Amino acid sequence: MNSTWFLYLGFSAALLFVGIYCLLTMKNLIKLFIGIEIIAKAISLALVTSGLVRTNIALAQALTITFIVVEVSMVAVALAIIINVYRHTGSLDIGKLTKLKG
Amino acid sequence: MILQIFLLAGLVALTILAILLRDLLKAAISLALASIFLAMIFFRMNAPYVGVFEISVVAGLITVLFITTIALTRSPADVKENKLPLIIFPVFFALFIVIDFIVMKNLLSQFPPLPAGTPNSGTFGQVFWNERTFDLVGQIGVIFAGVFAVLALFRTRDKNE
Repeated sequence: MNSTWFLYLGFSAALLFVGIYCLLTMKNLIKLFIGIEIIAKAISLALVTSGLVRTNIALAQALTITFIVVEVSMVAVALAIIINVYRHTGSLDIGKLTKLKG
Repeated sequence: MILQIFLLAGLVALTILAILLRDLLKAAISLALASIFLAMIFFRMNAPYVGVFEISVVAGLITVLFITTIALTRSPADVKENKLPLIIFPVFFALFIVIDFIVMKNLLSQFPPLPAGTPNSGTFGQVFWNERTFDLVGQIGVIFAGVFAVLALFRTRDKNE
């Protein structure tokens, strides 16, 4: 077993922190989505690391490729929603999305 | 080992740059560079197929989608971000890194060593096409769902509607 997996998990957690911090503090919709992408990178790294630890890298690769395909689909839909939001509100500020506010 | 640490640190640095840069185009390019770093890490971890996917799909396709969206939504009045979270980010990040590596080094190493698990039951192709066939069905479903969702979102209304 490779002894560097603590390192990979440590950096994966750091990426997760950066992504969550971006989600919590930013207002721009595209910046928020960049935060989600960073979290996706952290998850990919953690998945491949788990395969490295369990000495079954082929299965980890198969799962990570499935994850990447799902990620691409999500990105396409989310960016289409962002463009539609921009057409409706004229801005990318999430503060202006108040139509559903109770 | 040193190269791996350099690549991992570069990956985290580029993602931090992606959230700190105010220009969205530069942020998207920084994210693409981070993907290339991640792909190199995957190659070093003996996972070449994921590395190729990461470069071609994440660094290529997703970056193109991001840049297209940024070009379509360029507005004269930029969104005003609150500066305080960006100023205090280094403090929080340094604190998190210290806690992170203390936990990873001390706490996780106290766990009993993991059992080796099932060893590789074949090549990547055998695992992907034979063992994970159901995943492929799911992937096709997700791709179709994405295509239909995008078509629905960009549907232009007829005059009769």
